[in-house]
Amino acid sequence: MVERALLLCLLLLGFWGVVAKKNIIKKIFGLNILNAAAVMLFILEGNRIGTEAPILESDLALVVDPIPQALMLTAIVIGVCVTALALALAVHLYQITGSFDIDTIRERVKDAT
Amino acid sequence: MGKRKAWSPILQAGLAIGAMGIVLLPVFLCQTPWPTAARDYLVQHGQDESGAINLVSAIYLGYRAFDTLGETIVLLVAVIGTMGLLSRVESLVNPIGDDDNSIQTVSAFSLRGEKRSSHVLRTHLLEVVTGKIGPIVLLFGFYVMLYGHLSPGGGFQGGVIIASGIVFLALGNQQDNTSVLSKSSILGGIESVSFLLFIVVAISGIFFGKGFFGNPLADSAYPVGFIVLMNSIIGLKVGASIGFMCIAMMGGHD
Repeated sequence: MVERALLLCLLLLGFWGVVAKKNIIKKIFGLNILNAAAVMLFILEGNRIGTEAPILESDLALVVDPIPQALMLTAIVIGVCVTALALALAVHLYQITGSFDIDTIRERVKDAT
Repeated sequence: MGKRKAWSPILQAGLAIGAMGIVLLPVFLCQTPWPTAARDYLVQHGQDESGAINLVSAIYLGYRAFDTLGETIVLLVAVIGTMGLLSRVESLVNPIGDDDNSIQTVSAFSLRGEKRSSHVLRTHLLEVVTGKIGPIVLLFGFYVMLYGHLSPGGGFQGGVIIASGIVFLALGNQQDNTSVLSKSSILGGIESVSFLLFIVVAISGIFFGKGFFGNPLADSAYPVGFIVLMNSIIGLKVGASIGFMCIAMMGGHD
């Protein structure tokens, strides 16, 4: 139960980073923390029905559920893709407006138009 | 008004986080027993049907290979988007200045020869360590990739290790002898060819009567060969594309 509460805290921490922070880089890494919390929740759920790794070297009856692990493998790579694309967008914004702060960016975009 | 303006964003963020917490609390704290039917089926039949001892490999390259196909497409799109954005940035930045010590230039790590030794972010320690460790990391990545059906690992994990090896090789050239693997044309070629191979291997099951993503070797003595082949293709693809994105972010693509 403790680990679930901690994971909820981690997810809310990432959400707080996305919602409350002004710096775009911090927002992107907040998104990354959110992704990590969701991935770890899935792994934790799959771990409830077993103790051994899902590799059938001997006759193990109590392996963990391999399906959440296989799904999260995909989710991790997609999280990396999203982070890379968002960072590239942030760099692009910085080159155009000269700032990572969303309020400054909004002002400068408004000034330019 | 001024005071209200100061704390109202904090209040808004607090309310949003509180609402999110209340919505997610049942999701995180629910104690319904996790179903064991899929696990039991995979433990009994997974190795016979796919040939892989590692059940995670058996799932993402056998039972749920469509997930992997969609994931590789997402990776391809992310690489295309990143390269499109960053190459436009390069053309914006380069005419402005070529100052050695300014950290904010995008091309900070791709300085040529004589300028590199005086750069604040590059030390000789970095060059010595990454240049020596890069080939070993590449070898380890290929091991993880090729033994993904037997041990913890597989295409994605091995591919990420290969990508870090590529980044090490790109960072660690002491003189001007750059590695071929840090050229964007080579990495892009590896990625495109491996995606083509992935599609070809996926279609090959049709000609053996197994359907799309079917295992053409299912009736032979070594059904696991299909998973080894797919693992190597995915490892090459993931390694090339993530290495490509990292090198582009260091400003090293030309």
